[in-house]
Amino acid sequence: MKRQGHTGGAADALWYKRAVIYELPVKSFFDANADGIGDFPGLLEKLDYLEGLGVTCLWLLPFFPSPLRDDGYDIADYCNIHPAYGTLDDFKRVLDAAHERRLQVVIELVLNHTSDQHPWFRRARAAARGSVERDFYVWSDTDDRYRDARVIFLDSERSNWTWDSVAGAYYWHRFFHHQPDLNYDNPAVLQEILAVIDFWLELGVDGFRLDAVPYLVERDGTNCENLPDTHAVLKTIRRHIDERWPHRMLLAEANQFPADVRAYFAAGDECHMAYHFPLMPRIFMGLHLEDRHPIVEIMEQTPPIPDVCQWALFLRNHDELTLEMVTDEERDYMHLAYSVDPQARINLGIRRRLAPLMGNNRRRIELLNSLLFSFPGTPIVYYGDEIGMGDNIYLGDRNGVRTPMQWTNDRNARFSRTDPARLYSPVIMDPIYGYQGINVEAQERDGSSLLQWMKNLIGLRKLFPVLGVGTLRFLEPENQKVLAYLREHEHDAILCVANLSHNVQPVELDLAPFAGFVPIEVLGYTEFPIIGERPYFLTLGPYGFYWFELQRRDA
Amino acid sequence: MASTGSNSSVVTPETASTTRVDIVIGLTSHNDAATVGSVASALREGLTRHFAGDASRFVLADSGSTDDTPARARDSLKGIDGLVEVPAAPTTTDRLESPYHRIPGKARALRGILTTAQNLGARACVVIDAGIETVTPQWLQWLATPVLTHDFDLVAPFYRRHPYEGALTKGIVYPMFRALYGVRLRQPAAGEFACSSRLLDRLLEEDLWDRDGAQIGIDLWLASSAVSRDFRIGEAALGVRNQHAHGDEPLDLGTTLTQVVGSLFADVEKRVEQWQRVRGSVPVQQFGELSMGTPLQSVSIDHEKLIESFRLGYRELRDIWTWVLPPRTILDLRRLIDGPAAGFRLDDGLWARIIYDFALGYRLRALPREHVLRSLVPLYLAWFASFVLEVRDRGDNEVERRLDQLGAAFETQKPYLISKWRWPERLRT
Repeated sequence: MKRQGHTGGAADALWYKRAVIYELPVKSFFDANADGIGDFPGLLEKLDYLEGLGVTCLWLLPFFPSPLRDDGYDIADYCNIHPAYGTLDDFKRVLDAAHERRLQVVIELVLNHTSDQHPWFRRARAAARGSVERDFYVWSDTDDRYRDARVIFLDSERSNWTWDSVAGAYYWHRFFHHQPDLNYDNPAVLQEILAVIDFWLELGVDGFRLDAVPYLVERDGTNCENLPDTHAVLKTIRRHIDERWPHRMLLAEANQFPADVRAYFAAGDECHMAYHFPLMPRIFMGLHLEDRHPIVEIMEQTPPIPDVCQWALFLRNHDELTLEMVTDEERDYMHLAYSVDPQARINLGIRRRLAPLMGNNRRRIELLNSLLFSFPGTPIVYYGDEIGMGDNIYLGDRNGVRTPMQWTNDRNARFSRTDPARLYSPVIMDPIYGYQGINVEAQERDGSSLLQWMKNLIGLRKLFPVLGVGTLRFLEPENQKVLAYLREHEHDAILCVANLSHNVQPVELDLAPFAGFVPIEVLGYTEFPIIGERPYFLTLGPYGFYWFELQRRDA
Repeated sequence: MASTGSNSSVVTPETASTTRVDIVIGLTSHNDAATVGSVASALREGLTRHFAGDASRFVLADSGSTDDTPARARDSLKGIDGLVEVPAAPTTTDRLESPYHRIPGKARALRGILTTAQNLGARACVVIDAGIETVTPQWLQWLATPVLTHDFDLVAPFYRRHPYEGALTKGIVYPMFRALYGVRLRQPAAGEFACSSRLLDRLLEEDLWDRDGAQIGIDLWLASSAVSRDFRIGEAALGVRNQHAHGDEPLDLGTTLTQVVGSLFADVEKRVEQWQRVRGSVPVQQFGELSMGTPLQSVSIDHEKLIESFRLGYRELRDIWTWVLPPRTILDLRRLIDGPAAGFRLDDGLWARIIYDFALGYRLRALPREHVLRSLVPLYLAWFASFVLEVRDRGDNEVERRLDQLGAAFETQKPYLISKWRWPERLRT
């Protein structure tokens, strides 16, 4: 059934806890006007595909007017659409059509900085010192303030300050020098941002991904990250939204350790969701080590969060596989394990998609997705990973993981009908991951394809709400190659068991508290022997995993 | 649609909402001038006899009758508190398809009745098809009392039928409904029912009213909505239900099966999160008297013709069935083709798996959905022939026991459906 007249805001206040999010850049998804760049009319055509995949929420990467020097995160106009992607009317059509299909839509809100082409910055440069207009940004006569703040983009920036000859002063930027930071000590900035928020919520969007939130406010003598005044800004935004727009969601991008990210949930009155950044590299590490320790360790360091809040989980996204939140030794291990080719490295991370990171091993890809979909949090699937798309590490920056979606084996992967030379990016054409073999059309017709497998997995995730809202408890079997954990909520219990190694593994699990229960293997609905007081014995194939629904025998 | 006739007691839903009542009696009608008077009179008598102290209100939802059904209803209800008439005229789209339950735009009619009942604060709402010839005053008693007195939320009718009547319900709807939703409701797609204010509120909140196919499948969907949640379900044995013959051409079996089974499959697709968590089934409490009222009409079935239709279907449709059914089932069917008619038996487990595979084929659009459903007809005839041969000399109780066995077989085979539903790569394995 299609919902009529829906204008944003799901009926379920906690919809984001039960969601399966699909991250996509509009420019990479489908090109409807044959200019070589994906657009909103193209996305509109592909909503049926996304509905069929089973995802429930779309996260759209930046699509605003921008000089595109940071893939759209350098915004020149917050309340419009980049002309290459369409018009506001096109966006609204996508939004309404998505809502008719029960797909929520989350967009980007880049709070920390604008493009240096934004009118606010142009005006600020020319404005008088001390004026409201000038103070939209952070200025200094020297470049030695906030020395304790690290430089994040080490590969391209040497300092967080850049001299502006028009202003005759240095301006502050935590990212690229063409992205000056907004000054939240100026109340006029927050008022403008609140107006931007109202603009998009009025149109009907269901939430915002808040980009780079730890860096909103700067204070001397600090590292300028996660400061109390930054949290105050976020709380003001949340309060503003809650008072006007029910059931909208804020997702914080704070690439920090879980204990620091915890503050972004506050008492459930700041952000609804936040990424669990450190989990992702530790999943990759645990897999390569064939040892559960790195995964268990980071989850045990993860503090509890308010009931109304949720972690956002991902395996890969549009950025590099970030290794900021690991130790130096762990980072070295990850590079040796997953990016022997230096070309695959950028900043502190690895610019590769999931399938190449897994050596295109189907069982490893499935295993990692089984973790993604059964760990406490909301899973995010990066576009193309559902068909095992590859990457191109020679494209510069992180563009290698942002290549056109591969729809068919036709020219340009049927992403666009334009001349291949006009494409915003070449399509993947190598022998393993090339669009001739890896594409949606082929996998739609192949009952055993990764795409069909992902559809089934997404369906199962939605069938068991406990996976979205339940608690996590690790078991401690002797065999370190096996990861076993319980997800529980009210009367529901799911036992997840995963073999991180490339060999068959035995495991004995202490399930005594569930004596008398029958494990029903979830994928095949197969009944296993009843649980008794003695350790429960299982064997798992290479990279095998089970999800068991634990049912009372008398139920 | 307010009346403009001479009866001053007719009111609109808006003006009716000022007075609270205990019972709302909703009549759905479509060209029922021949019966609506007797139906209204019987129910009015039922009110007098059994609910004299309760405030009540009649609601008529007439689906575009071209005879004088509304006027006859008004005449029959003269002298009581106002008859509420709710707008239920079918749309052009509704008129294009004749529904098996014969009332075009039925979802709109039911919604109008339930909304009026909600506005009136009714504790119970009883819905009756105005085209039934066998309504008695007791119908109201048996339907409404469980709601008003015993805190039941849904009371569905249990009509006494000849063993061969209602075979689609007996062979497909009942056992699948029972296995999936865990409630042994014998006639879940009946057009008559009683519901509590609690259920009524919930039903009106559900997003099923505007779904594709709602005008056809709404009766079944209301029942599945009720059993999918924590509502108390009962049955009222009402005797025989004879529908007045309107002289219209009856729907062919293919169309009827497509509508009835299509509604069931469509609903199953929407309620995955509920039915995949249900194990076993529970009986429902029964009220009323099964043997009351009109005696059953005799029915004669030629089982050999049914078997011949199945054999013909096997020859013509086997290639289509292979898109939906696994090889083992095809081979089992071939053995049936080759066997003698006298000993023709379709195993319950095999039948359950066939229905479940068709539900999967429908869900996965293995073929256009209408083709999937229509190709089920010869298989259904095979089941019916087998059923006729088994129960032809048996009494009512034995037939009921046989249907209970069939329902149990559908429950036993439910893991087969769940495993394939969850991992449909295995559709044809």
